[in-house]
Amino acid sequence: MICYLYEAPTYFFFAPDLPELLYYSHIPASVLALLIGFFVFLHARDQLLNKLLLIISVCFSLWTLTSLIAWTNVEANFVAFVWPFFALLSSFIAIFSIYFIHVFLTKEDVSFRLKLGFLALLTPVLLLAHTNLSISGFNITNCDAFGFEGSLYKGYYTLLGYVAMIWIATLLIKHYRKATSELRTQILYMGIGIESFLFLFTTLTFIGTYLATTGVVDDSRIELYGLFGMMIFMVFMAMLIVRFKTFNVTVLAPQALVLALLILVASQFTYVTTATSITLTSVTLVLTALAGLVIIRNVKKEIKQRKEIEQLAQKLKKANKRLKELDQMKSEFVSIASHQLRSPLTSIRGYASMILEGSYGKLPTKAEEVVGKIVESSTFMASSIEDYLNVSRIEAGNMKYELADFNLKDEAEHVADDKRQEAMKKGLLLTFKSDLDRHGIVNADIGKTRQILHNLINNALKYTPRGTIVIFAHDDAKKKKMYIDIIDSGIGMRADEVEDIFGKFERAHNANETNVTGTGLGLFVARKMARHMNGEVTAMSDGPGHGSTFRLEMPLQM
Amino acid sequence: MLILAVSASYFRFMVSQDYLVTYEGFCDPYTESCFIYCEDETCTDPFYSTSITRKAAAVFSVCGEDITDCEAADVCTDNETECSVLYCDPILDIDACEMLSLTDLE
Repeated sequence: MICYLYEAPTYFFFAPDLPELLYYSHIPASVLALLIGFFVFLHARDQLLNKLLLIISVCFSLWTLTSLIAWTNVEANFVAFVWPFFALLSSFIAIFSIYFIHVFLTKEDVSFRLKLGFLALLTPVLLLAHTNLSISGFNITNCDAFGFEGSLYKGYYTLLGYVAMIWIATLLIKHYRKATSELRTQILYMGIGIESFLFLFTTLTFIGTYLATTGVVDDSRIELYGLFGMMIFMVFMAMLIVRFKTFNVTVLAPQALVLALLILVASQFTYVTTATSITLTSVTLVLTALAGLVIIRNVKKEIKQRKEIEQLAQKLKKANKRLKELDQMKSEFVSIASHQLRSPLTSIRGYASMILEGSYGKLPTKAEEVVGKIVESSTFMASSIEDYLNVSRIEAGNMKYELADFNLKDEAEHVADDKRQEAMKKGLLLTFKSDLDRHGIVNADIGKTRQILHNLINNALKYTPRGTIVIFAHDDAKKKKMYIDIIDSGIGMRADEVEDIFGKFERAHNANETNVTGTGLGLFVARKMARHMNGEVTAMSDGPGHGSTFRLEMPLQM
Repeated sequence: MLILAVSASYFRFMVSQDYLVTYEGFCDPYTESCFIYCEDETCTDPFYSTSITRKAAAVFSVCGEDITDCEAADVCTDNETECSVLYCDPILDIDACEMLSLTDLE
């Protein structure tokens, strides 16, 4: 049976004299719904939420297809056959929207009982679709069935749409109140999206068809605006995907934007008619696609690089942690080993000194020389062990500091006196000078301060083959600082080595040329100790061969 | 249930054509009260019609797919139970009805 007043469509549903908005409202909305529906489904097929979104998208697209057929087809039998699909698909969209929101909010499937409830709501629509209660006839003059739609049936499935809206709104409000701030934003996006869609879709399709049935308007073109509700819904779904990775899908914002741009440009094909417009739209579409491709590729590249850097940083962090653990273990090992060594070494030193002093009788001259070497070596070894132990204590944080006020100038002078003999043995002149405005009182651990001074003077003695060593105590009342400078005429060092020599096991570049033994720990220990007492140890040199100045700086007690 | 609903609809509308169709039938304004349709406000070439409602299968059996130029489409046969020809009722559709007198013809 043919609607005799209308022309048959070309390409299934392209006919003349149709509302301009028909294709623009139907095709882009369906394409967008199907794209997002299939995209989320294919990215995480096992997710129920994704399946439900796909079902809603497919139902909506089938509805728009049915609508296009109803608007354009002239085969009365076929149009009458698809007419009940409006009721079926509208009801499915309403019920699956409720199901979708349940799963979105609870992250789990609904109960069997609720599913039965959904089925019960759908049963009248399904069972009565083919009966006269759905449609009883067809007007082949107007080519529609508006005048033959059963009002009870139509009222029922329209009501399902409003039931869905109220049900969903209740669920969303209930969960919104209990949700955290991030979840609240997600619920808000979902709520605005789905409620806008259901409201526009249900209300405008009902009003459009009702006005057409009652003859107030010639056709139901007002329903076309209802389809834009799906666009709004999908925009909010895209925002949820991009911002919150909802549906377990990761999409970059530029990808979503480029896709939206392409759909917008492509949707112009649904209303442009002239050859120039079609050509320009085609060119714009191709250019947009190419530019989008370049942007997405670059963004992906940058993200890949950022992820690689993040991974490397993570690995580095782990390696660093492991290194610290190893360093700790090493320090513990050194500490234990040093303790074990110190006791026998003390005995060796003690007995060798006693032999040398003649406590066990007069020694032959040759033996005296040998025993002297034993004393010298064991003294160096004891000093090295003390350095190792200090390093272990510092790194383990076990070094104890007993702070008290004392005169640093006096202590420096005492240490200088102690070391003078040793300097003289090496043919060096060790002198002490002072130029103080204040008394030179500092608050520090006296034992540790003496050790710092010993280490600094020992260092000067080691690396000064000839000349002088001056210990100079001075202060700066304005800066409230007290300084002890150890000025030597030794081998000096390069400017770039000045900081390096305070590292663990570090020695100056030219130190190896002096044939001086050393652990490379003395300066490291001195600086660490000084810093623990709010002081500092620094070094200065005019270069190799021009001597060095090491300075202990401590806060002055006024 | 969905498959059943679609199948039942298919059988009803596509196979047995068990539904009513309504269309404009021929009407003689000199002998019958006709619905009048004008293409413009001056109504220089009015179109007169009745409103016929019949079972789709019955129309198909006498006219085939297209009822244009099928005179049988305007007449209910004796054994048709659900066939009606609706004429314009001047009381209900006063603006859309027209019945011309023979003097109009002269």
